[in-house]
Amino acid sequence: MNDLQWIQAAKNGDEDAYAKLVRRHSGGLHRTVARILADDAEAWDVVQMAFLKAWQKLDRYDPRFSFTTWLYRIGTNLAIDLLRSRTSRERAHKAGTEHRLRLVGTGEGAGTRADSNETDNVLQQLVEVLTPQQRSAFVLREMEGHETAEVAEVLGCSATTVRNHIFQARKALRRELRLRFPEYLPASERG
Amino acid sequence: MNCEIFRETIGSYVDETLEEGRRHWFRTHLRECPTCRESALRDEPSLLFAMAPTAPGKPEAIEACTAAVMARIRQDRLERRLHRRRRPWLAAAAAATLVISGGIAWRTMVVGGSETLQPVVEAQLDAGLQNSPPTVEVEMPGEEVRVYQFANDADADTAVYFIVDPALEL
Repeated sequence: MNDLQWIQAAKNGDEDAYAKLVRRHSGGLHRTVARILADDAEAWDVVQMAFLKAWQKLDRYDPRFSFTTWLYRIGTNLAIDLLRSRTSRERAHKAGTEHRLRLVGTGEGAGTRADSNETDNVLQQLVEVLTPQQRSAFVLREMEGHETAEVAEVLGCSATTVRNHIFQARKALRRELRLRFPEYLPASERG
Repeated sequence: MNCEIFRETIGSYVDETLEEGRRHWFRTHLRECPTCRESALRDEPSLLFAMAPTAPGKPEAIEACTAAVMARIRQDRLERRLHRRRRPWLAAAAAATLVISGGIAWRTMVVGGSETLQPVVEAQLDAGLQNSPPTVEVEMPGEEVRVYQFANDADADTAVYFIVDPALEL
C-alpha cells in the first residue's frame, strides 16, 4: 500500500495504518531533524511530536500534495521553533561539551578521511554558525538531496529564498571548515 | 569522460543552477570517485556534506518511536473522549452538590444550628444521563468535596476520576 491508502485508512480510524506510516517515515525524518538540531535524542522527541501533530491534523491533509513534504514541514517547523527557544548560553554549553569528533587526524587526503558518520559529526560541530532557516535549507537540500521546490514548500518560502539560504550556509561552512577542520580538505588546501 | 564532465559541473552544482536530474549523478560520482572528490573539495570544501549518508535509521529505534507515537495517540484520543464525557455528569454532580450544600446550610442556619453535620453525604446518581458512568458518589467530609466516577467493567478504556476540588473543574 502507498502513503495515500494508509492515510485514508488512518482517517477512518485505522491506527495500524498510521503506525505503518510512522515506521516508513520516522527514520528519514529523524535523520533530517537530528542534523538540524545537532542532537540525536532531542530529534526523536521532535519526530514523535511531529507524528502526533500530523495525526491530530490528518483531516486537514490535502492528498494532492506529498505526505512526506507535509510531514517534513511539521517536523522542520518544530525543530526551528526548538532552536529559537534555546538560549545562546545553552548553545554555547552544548557546543563545548557535546559532539566531540572521534577521528581528527592528519595525513590522508579528504577523499578518504571523511566517512559517513564523520560528515555528520563535522556538521554537528559547525552547524552553530548557521541560522535555523539556513540549517534547515542546507540539510534538506545538500545532505538529504531534496529538490529546491520541495525545500521551499517544507520551509514555506520561495525557491529563491532557499537558494539564498544555501548560498549563505555554504559560505559560512566553507570558512569554518578551513578554520577548524583543515584535515578534511585536500592536502593542497591545507598548505 | 565522466570525470571531465564532473569537474566542469562543479560550479553549476554549487550555484544551484544544475538541473535536478544531473544533481543525483553529480552526488553519486562525488561519493564514488576519490580523484574527483579531492578536486571538488579543493574548489568547494562544503561539498563534504553532499556525501552525508541517507540510510534509514536503526530498526529498533524506529520501532520504539512507533510504539511511543501510537501510545501518545491512544492517550490523546482517550483524553479527548473523557473531556467530552466529563461535562454532563460533572454538571449533574455540581447540581447535586449545590442542592446538598444548600440543604445543609439551611438546616444549620434556619432549622437549628445545634444539629451535627453528617461527616459524609452521599448522592447516588444513577439517572439516565447519556454517556454518564454507572455510579457517582459525592462525599462532603467537613470542607472537602470529593467526586468519584466508576467506569463500567465493559468499557475498554476504563475511566476513573478523582477530583479533589471540583470548583477548579467547574
